[in-house]
Amino acid sequence: MTISSICRNLKYIFLPSVLWLGVWQFAAHTVGQELLLPTPVSVLQTLLVLGCTPAFWHTVYTTLLRVLAGMLWGALAGIALAALTYASAWCHRLFAPTIRIIRAAPVVSFILFLLLWSRRGSVPAIVAGLMVLPVLWESTSRGLRETDGHLLELAKAYRFSLWKKIRLIYLPSALPYFFSSAASAIGLAWKSGVAAETICLAPVSIGLNMQQTKLYLDTPGLFAWTAVVVTLSLVLEGLLTVLSRRLERRWKV
Amino acid sequence: MITLSGIAYAYGEKIVFSDLNLTIPRTGITVLSGPSGCGKTTLLRLLAGLAAPARGEISGMPRHPALLFQENRLLPWRTVRQHLTDVLPRTRRGEADTFLRLIELEGEGALHPPALSGGMARRLALARALALGGDMLLLDEPFPGVDAARAKRILLRLRELDTPVLLVCHEEGLLSQCDRIITLHQREWPSQR
Repeated sequence: MTISSICRNLKYIFLPSVLWLGVWQFAAHTVGQELLLPTPVSVLQTLLVLGCTPAFWHTVYTTLLRVLAGMLWGALAGIALAALTYASAWCHRLFAPTIRIIRAAPVVSFILFLLLWSRRGSVPAIVAGLMVLPVLWESTSRGLRETDGHLLELAKAYRFSLWKKIRLIYLPSALPYFFSSAASAIGLAWKSGVAAETICLAPVSIGLNMQQTKLYLDTPGLFAWTAVVVTLSLVLEGLLTVLSRRLERRWKV
Repeated sequence: MITLSGIAYAYGEKIVFSDLNLTIPRTGITVLSGPSGCGKTTLLRLLAGLAAPARGEISGMPRHPALLFQENRLLPWRTVRQHLTDVLPRTRRGEADTFLRLIELEGEGALHPPALSGGMARRLALARALALGGDMLLLDEPFPGVDAARAKRILLRLRELDTPVLLVCHEEGLLSQCDRIITLHQREWPSQR
């Protein structure tokens, strides 16, 4: 990468950010009330104060673990169900409507219902997984359906084992579809996970801190916690992009 | 001898065979020729067990034939060498180079299919079918895009493998290298010479 291309990339990243920060600063200055719209500087100050306390990092770590756990079980269940519904028409008839209902139902319904059945700390992970599952099921199913029939016939004629068929044909065919929706799934997991923490007042959580900013009319605090969630979500998306590019290079998809 | 008696096969409304009777020797190289659409590829698919006749019987067919499909059906994400090691048994993976030499692709083992020319890709598909190591080779047009001299050399090497070969081939220059020719006509009886 040359210096000029690095400068060009920086320009593309920083210029829009600076522009939007300017718009935000201008709007906050015009409104003139921190309660209604805090300035970027006061949000940054709040963030710095929060960042200096061990409790902040413990909270971020706990929420991150919950969301990751939710994404993991949601992804595994989505992939497993996609394989099942692809392999068996009967399973498709059984599971597809249920998964579509999960996708359409309001997230708050799940949160309130699960609150009756499980501990407060577990609800965010379960809800995040439930939001991720239908998205990844749909995309993985599409990837499996789009697998080249000629290659599957080749696998049959060349007596490939099931594992070899999965490794050499299904995985490279379905992975691009999986990764294309995984970024949206990460965003959904964060949104629903933090919403669940807020509604069910999960102990040691970003959601609980957001709930408290409402009680104390601490709008800069709300913005600061939101910035934390957005940053974590973007970091995870970035890691996912690196992983997907590596796999694509490996499989030359 | 492989014997096909009273074979009927159709793709939906399109009848390919209504009553095909044919014997194919299980030695040497046999060429299956005939005009496009006469059922050569369908016949190979029936022999390979990928399609079942609506009527009739096939007997004397080896249990594990290796079929070279009419299309290359290569995996864009696997290298040339991996295409061969994927079908070779674990204990024989070292033989990949032998097959690469046989089809004159030595030195290209690290390439992926999109980097191959049409002829090279066809030769790779052929090498993979050979590496599969069936007890009969069913080759559906193995040489389009391959220059005549090279095709002749490869055909001579196939003979040395001592595995019966049934070959769909349109290259006139190669017919003299084969032991016999079976000509299929459009929904007619085959002729043998």
